Parts: sequence; structure tokens; C-alpha cells
Amino acid sequence: MAPTTEEICGRIAEALGVRAERVTPDAALTDLVSDSYRLVEMAIELQEDYDVVFTQADLSAVTTVGDLTRLVLDRLP
Amino acid sequence: MPLSDDELWVLSYYRTSEINGSLFFGRLARTLRPSPIQHDLTKHFADEAQHAWYWTDCLDRLGARPVKMSDAYQDQYLEAAGLPVNLMEILAITLVFERRVINQYAKHLALPDVTPEVKETIDRIMQDERWHVQWVRDALAGMEDKFGKDTIDDTLRRFKAADAEVYARTLEEHEARLGFLLGPRDQATED
Repeated sequence: MAPTTEEICGRIAEALGVRAERVTPDAALTDLVSDSYRLVEMAIELQEDYDVVFTQADLSAVTTVGDLTRLVLDRLP
Repeated sequence: MPLSDDELWVLSYYRTSEINGSLFFGRLARTLRPSPIQHDLTKHFADEAQHAWYWTDCLDRLGARPVKMSDAYQDQYLEAAGLPVNLMEILAITLVFERRVINQYAKHLALPDVTPEVKETIDRIMQDERWHVQWVRDALAGMEDKFGKDTIDDTLRRFKAADAEVYARTLEEHEARLGFLLGPRDQATED
């Protein structure tokens, strides 16, 4: 069964180590965490968890949590 | 013979670089699903941590204490090449970085009057570094079906260009300290 947007937001919150209530669709990822390495790890974690692959082109268009959750859902096998 | 300030700085830079590599690979190893890549990456993480210890111990045996540094060589990669966005890109940047490490340590070993402690430390580390290059190269070859050989080759070229830029900038920024590692000509663009 495909994950819900809320579930993906929960995984993003966990991976970034921030409170779940901060991870809203409009939240900018760089506002949630300033450490670039942390963002890389989070992107890898989502790809591992949901068996998807992101490309540079995919992520260049991502700025918010909502962008990222839509990308995961679009890439699901 | 006591270490010069420049040598102390360089050995501390190596130590910091190994620590940062270890921390990054450790966090990544925690993230990955069980697989041969997770297995080898975990060993890689452990090696990097061990290398940081070797440098700490080497400095201690030379009667010196590591210089505290906040940034390492790898930190500048992200700025120069952009964030790696998937596991293939992380392995590609790792392969480029590991080749740089081997090149740098070989260059250091070729210096006249390398102290026995430093030589012994680099020799121990080099044994692991060769395996690091091997396993990452094999893992990338195993990803060709998923990502395409051309994409992997393009990614390697991108990170290699970034590495050359970062290395040249590092030499420029720390010319006074790294000067003793340079030959008669500028080796910044050397592979």
C-alpha cells in the first residue's frame, strides 16, 4: 500500500531529527535543518525506505516538504 | 625532532578529514538497508575511525596535540559539486575522494625526511585505502543496470572536476602550510 503524505512527513521529521509539527507541506527544508549533510542523509533514507531513486533534476525542483512528499509519491514503483 | 607548525597542521588536517569521513559514513551505514553495500560501507566507516585514531596516536608519539579544526576537505565538495542526491552519487564522490587521499598520502611519503611515525601511519592507512577504492569501484559497476554507465561516468567526471577545484583552492588558501608538500611545480591539477 502506498504511503500517505503524513507518513512521509513523519519519516522526514525522524530523519532530520525535528519535531513532527514543524514538518508541514509549506515548510522549507533548509529552514528545518541547516546542515547539508543532514539533508543528504534524509534524501538517502527516503530512497531506501520507499525504494525510489532521486536525480539531481528531481531535487533541484524541491524546496519544501510538500515538494519532497510529492516527489516520493511520484517515484513509487 | 619536534614537528614544525606546518607539519602539525597538516597531520591534524588529515586527522580531521578522517574523522569527518567516519562520521558521514557511520550515519550513512545506519541509514542503508542490509546489502553488500551496507556491509562494505560499515567497514569503510570503521576504517576511517581507525585512521583518525592512528593520526591521533601518531601525533601523541611525536609529542604533539592535534590542532582543533572545524572544517575538513570533504566539506568543500558540497559547495563545489552540489549535494549528492542518491547512493550512486555518494559512491562516486567517495571514489574521487579516496583517489585524492591515496595521491596525497603518496605525495607525503615521497617527501625527504618523513619521520618514522608518520611513515608507519601512512603505510597502515594506505593498506585500507586501496580496498576503499576497490569496493566503491565494484559497487558502482554493480549499479550500471540501475543508473546507466553513462550517468555514472558523467557523475564521476563532475565530482572529479569539483575535486580538482577544491584541491587547487585548498593549496591556494593554505599555501604557506602546504608548501612543504609541493614540488618545484604547482601540482594542484595533478590527478
